[in-house]
Amino acid sequence: MTKKYVMLADTVRCINCKACVVACRAEWETPMGYTRDWVKEVEWVQNDQPKVMLFPGRCQHCDDAPCIEACPSGAAYKRADGLVLQDNCICSGCELCVPACPYEARWLNPVTNTISKCTFCQPRIDKGLEPACVQTCVGRALIFGDMNDQESEVSKLLKEKEWVRLTTDEVNIGPNHYYYTAGEALPDEVMPKLHDRHLSGKTMEIVNPIGAIAIGGMLLTFLGAGVMKLIGRRNEVSTSENQEEK
Amino acid sequence: MSDTNTSQMIHVREKKSIYMHWFNAGIRLLLLLTGFGIISGELVRVVPAFWPTFMQGLFGGNENLILIHSILAMIWIGVFVLFIILNFTNIVWPFLKKVLVLTPSSAIRDLKSMSINLLQLFGLMKNVPIAPQGRYNGAQRLLGTMLIFCSIVLAFTGLYLFFGPQFLNFSENPLYGAIFRWFLVAHVSCVFLVITGVIAHIYFAIIEEPECLEAMKSGNISVDFIKHHNVLWYDELKQEGKV
Repeated sequence: MTKKYVMLADTVRCINCKACVVACRAEWETPMGYTRDWVKEVEWVQNDQPKVMLFPGRCQHCDDAPCIEACPSGAAYKRADGLVLQDNCICSGCELCVPACPYEARWLNPVTNTISKCTFCQPRIDKGLEPACVQTCVGRALIFGDMNDQESEVSKLLKEKEWVRLTTDEVNIGPNHYYYTAGEALPDEVMPKLHDRHLSGKTMEIVNPIGAIAIGGMLLTFLGAGVMKLIGRRNEVSTSENQEEK
Repeated sequence: MSDTNTSQMIHVREKKSIYMHWFNAGIRLLLLLTGFGIISGELVRVVPAFWPTFMQGLFGGNENLILIHSILAMIWIGVFVLFIILNFTNIVWPFLKKVLVLTPSSAIRDLKSMSINLLQLFGLMKNVPIAPQGRYNGAQRLLGTMLIFCSIVLAFTGLYLFFGPQFLNFSENPLYGAIFRWFLVAHVSCVFLVITGVIAHIYFAIIEEPECLEAMKSGNISVDFIKHHNVLWYDELKQEGKV
């Protein structure tokens, strides 16, 4: 059976130590000020008591990833096992994919001049290792694995607890990152949001259908003209044959 | 006029112009096939998704396909630049003078004759006369102007799309990325324009006026054809004593 990799984040177990962030930055040598994963801290007051929730975040490796649709060169692509990856050899760094991601998981790397994002540590998992953030997580708040394998830890945990995904009515693109909040409602701060696309990207969304219609229209027009020409020619021939017969 | 032998063939196109035309046609076809193979996302989707998959598989990945597309484009640009430099006064400039539509009045005049021409294909406006045409008729002039404009845009934007990410640090200045994205829009738009124009061009060459296709192979065309379709040009040739 094809693998389907998912990440589980138990927000109750996360202590915001940021070991995951450090491990990721070390693994991928991200430039100063940039990181592929993060921990979002949400604070509020409930019944005069301060409360905090911690949300480890990264690319959600969505089933219908809008970044892939937005990428003109195919640098952003999805592997059969669900990983959304980025091919640095093709990526031009045009950033059309950046506002397409509602989880803000993509950024332009100033060193490589290409787009960086979490890959679930694809080279590590291809070697049978865990992603760096999962291996380093001291509280076992992050769990990674194949949800199609019924014996895997993620499969068992998904059955045991009530996990939620960061989706809204507006943004529901099949993220493969699950969160356990012990029944607490998901705060608005961590929910995905649609971002304003680049004007050039929006223009392209108009140019593309117009171009397709124009090409289709031209083909139909001249196909029609060809048919008319054929009919005209046939009529001419039959008229001349009739005249000859007379 | 009656003393002119109109059934004769006349040589109207030099061999190097003919070679250049077919080189241009061939390389543009290859650029189109490889270009549609590069575009992978849904942002630009004219050909079905199997095409980029097939092309990228054929060339061992999109990186190779982009390189092939770019090399072809640079050969196209290089040959054109060389041709223009070597033949500017005898071929290029006279061609540009005849084909370019640069004023609103000439654009309106050419649009009118092109519209009548197109409608007549469908049996409409049969009795409406088309104004006498020169060496290039209204549709050819409009198409030629569009193709020249689009080719320049395609060449410049294409060079930036290929070399920009290699030599400019997009994170240093957001303008570099913005230029890239707008050049991509311009590049794709021009491809669409060229395809729509070339569909008409191919139809007329093969179905309506095969004499023109023949002229683009041998360089010769019948005087009868010129007299019928390009009256002003016929008068010019007559004045020059060529017919």
